[in-house]
Amino acid sequence: MDTLFIAVFEILSFGAIVVLVVLGLGIIASMMGIFNFAQGEFVLLGAYITYLVHSIGFPVALGMMVAPIAVGALGFMLEMVVVRRFYAAPIVAMLGTYALGLIIREAVRGLTGGLYLSVPEPIGGSITVGALHFATWRCVIVVITLLVIAASYALIAYTSFGLRIRASLENPSLARVSGISTSMIYSVTFAFGAALAGLAGALIVPVFSLFADLGIRFLIQGFVAVMVGGIGSFAGPVAGASVIGTFSAALPWLMSPVIADVLVFVLAIIFIKFRPQGLVSRRGV
Amino acid sequence: MINASQQLSRRRFLRNAAFASAAIAIGPGSWVIRPNWANATEGPIRLGIATDLTGSLGFAGNTDANVARMIVKEINDKGGLLGRPIELLIEDTASNESVAVGNVRKLIQRDKVDLVLGGISSSMRNAIKDVIISRGKTLYIYPEGYEGKECMPYLFCTGPVPAQNCDQFIPWLIKHGGKRFAMPSSNYIWPQTINAYARKVIENSGGEVIFEEYYPLDQIDFSSTVSRIISNKVDVVFNTIVPPGVSPFFKQLYEAGFAKNGGRLGCVYYDENTLEMNQAHEIEGLASSLDYYKALTAEDPVSAKIQAAYDKQFPAKFRFSAGSAATGTYRGLKLWEAAVKEAGTIDRDAVAAALDHAKIEEGPGGPAEMVPGTRHCKMNMYIGVAKGGQYEIVARSAGLVAPKEC
Repeated sequence: MDTLFIAVFEILSFGAIVVLVVLGLGIIASMMGIFNFAQGEFVLLGAYITYLVHSIGFPVALGMMVAPIAVGALGFMLEMVVVRRFYAAPIVAMLGTYALGLIIREAVRGLTGGLYLSVPEPIGGSITVGALHFATWRCVIVVITLLVIAASYALIAYTSFGLRIRASLENPSLARVSGISTSMIYSVTFAFGAALAGLAGALIVPVFSLFADLGIRFLIQGFVAVMVGGIGSFAGPVAGASVIGTFSAALPWLMSPVIADVLVFVLAIIFIKFRPQGLVSRRGV
Repeated sequence: MINASQQLSRRRFLRNAAFASAAIAIGPGSWVIRPNWANATEGPIRLGIATDLTGSLGFAGNTDANVARMIVKEINDKGGLLGRPIELLIEDTASNESVAVGNVRKLIQRDKVDLVLGGISSSMRNAIKDVIISRGKTLYIYPEGYEGKECMPYLFCTGPVPAQNCDQFIPWLIKHGGKRFAMPSSNYIWPQTINAYARKVIENSGGEVIFEEYYPLDQIDFSSTVSRIISNKVDVVFNTIVPPGVSPFFKQLYEAGFAKNGGRLGCVYYDENTLEMNQAHEIEGLASSLDYYKALTAEDPVSAKIQAAYDKQFPAKFRFSAGSAATGTYRGLKLWEAAVKEAGTIDRDAVAAALDHAKIEEGPGGPAEMVPGTRHCKMNMYIGVAKGGQYEIVARSAGLVAPKEC
């Protein structure tokens, strides 16, 4: 029984981490129609900024607040300078963003000397219930993930800015005719996705430590999650990420981890074969 | 949509292709350090270092290249080897086997080096050894601690192997931890081989293995493993999970109360670099078994001298540590120097014959000597325990430990 509680908590918390990482990727893919291969490196950058703020003597929590703002600003700039040149050619966009990711990744590798660096969590320790220990920071991540999902949903579904984003996705020409600056909307949406990645990186770095390949680990999982969830809506990637995160964390409890790792992808491929539109097929929110 | 009108015209394509091919043709060259006095009649002795300067193992490869620079400078300052200067040629293997083979071929065919030292991962060694030894007819020294069983002629190994890692370490773990072992491991050759050896030592020393389990190399969530360790009341975790997984694993283990309940972490490869992957309190009491720790400088003047010389020349972030193969590189180059002196030539067979029984009196962690006929190296071994983010040496071998290979 104890093991069951622990299992449920751990699966939930890892699922939350995957959702947090995938959210930004999903928003950019769904709302802009491009796959951002640099998303993993935005996560890495969020982690690195948190480390940087911590290493010059400020509290980690401050780093976690700075990270999404800084990464969002960088995303805004990159969209203006590089990414917007690729909207007409989605395949080239993948390669272009991949190149951006590579530059960020190798820059961070140079800055960290290729080492693995630890960052303490702002709230450490574990919550003890009887003989069971639950890591406090993982609980915090679960709560923040839920808050971020709710806030992002509200932004896209209920604000006029969200309406503009959706309008720009559905029919860019009509949106422009109606007086919406689609290029500005794209910049801001991209920056928003990047900021979410930065936040994810900042929150997970105490759990996984900082290393240059941190982002790649989640990139593949992120793409599978977006595919399974379905592109074009906000709910799709979130649903996909929950499913992939839960499976990734749950299967190793049941079988050899080496098989579990492969099985997640096999199941995802089979699922996409029979339901290519993904879990959530409608467009919009 | 700004770019919609810019179609890829033939002229544009040609221009881009020209840029790309020019970039590929110029490329990054190899890094050659020429001695200042290349006036000897026979020309310099050419020493090739093929190591991972970039990519995921860059932190180790740069250290090894630095160690080689330090030793070559030392030898050249003293008048060279056999009256000839040493020219150091450093090629990047880029943590990528296919890149490595091409670059190592450059060392062999274009630069015609007299020795190649390098390779950090076992897969790298396997990728480049044939290029160096069979087709290249060149001597090869592999400096990193590894799983053993490499018995190819002309290939000399100067890092610790499982017998050296385990023979003293596992009885110590049983005494200072307990009898019930768990062996969580990354799924590749080194953990598989060292576990097979360690399991025998554990069982012969009166311990038992509760479970031995392998994980994908990039797995970073170990909740099910940690739960099994706790629920099976494991005393000692003999870890061979490697980065990036190892730091979240140790963290989850700590959070689950493993250390608090008296559990002991054992991890043979843990050095000063890996120590900072976790916060100090998360890995308090972690025991490791290596041929060198920086803490040795307090008691061993030779180690202190080498460490100080390295830190003075290379104050940057690449640490002189055992896990980076820095000690193996040092030992390898010094043993090779001794062998060349004895052979009086740089002919491959003559040097290999001399290297087969070469000895050095001074090295990081103590003296070292080749075990004749095995091409592996005897060395001192130490057990270090992490205390407040530093190692404390708690045990040392009673002399040079034999590798028991080949």
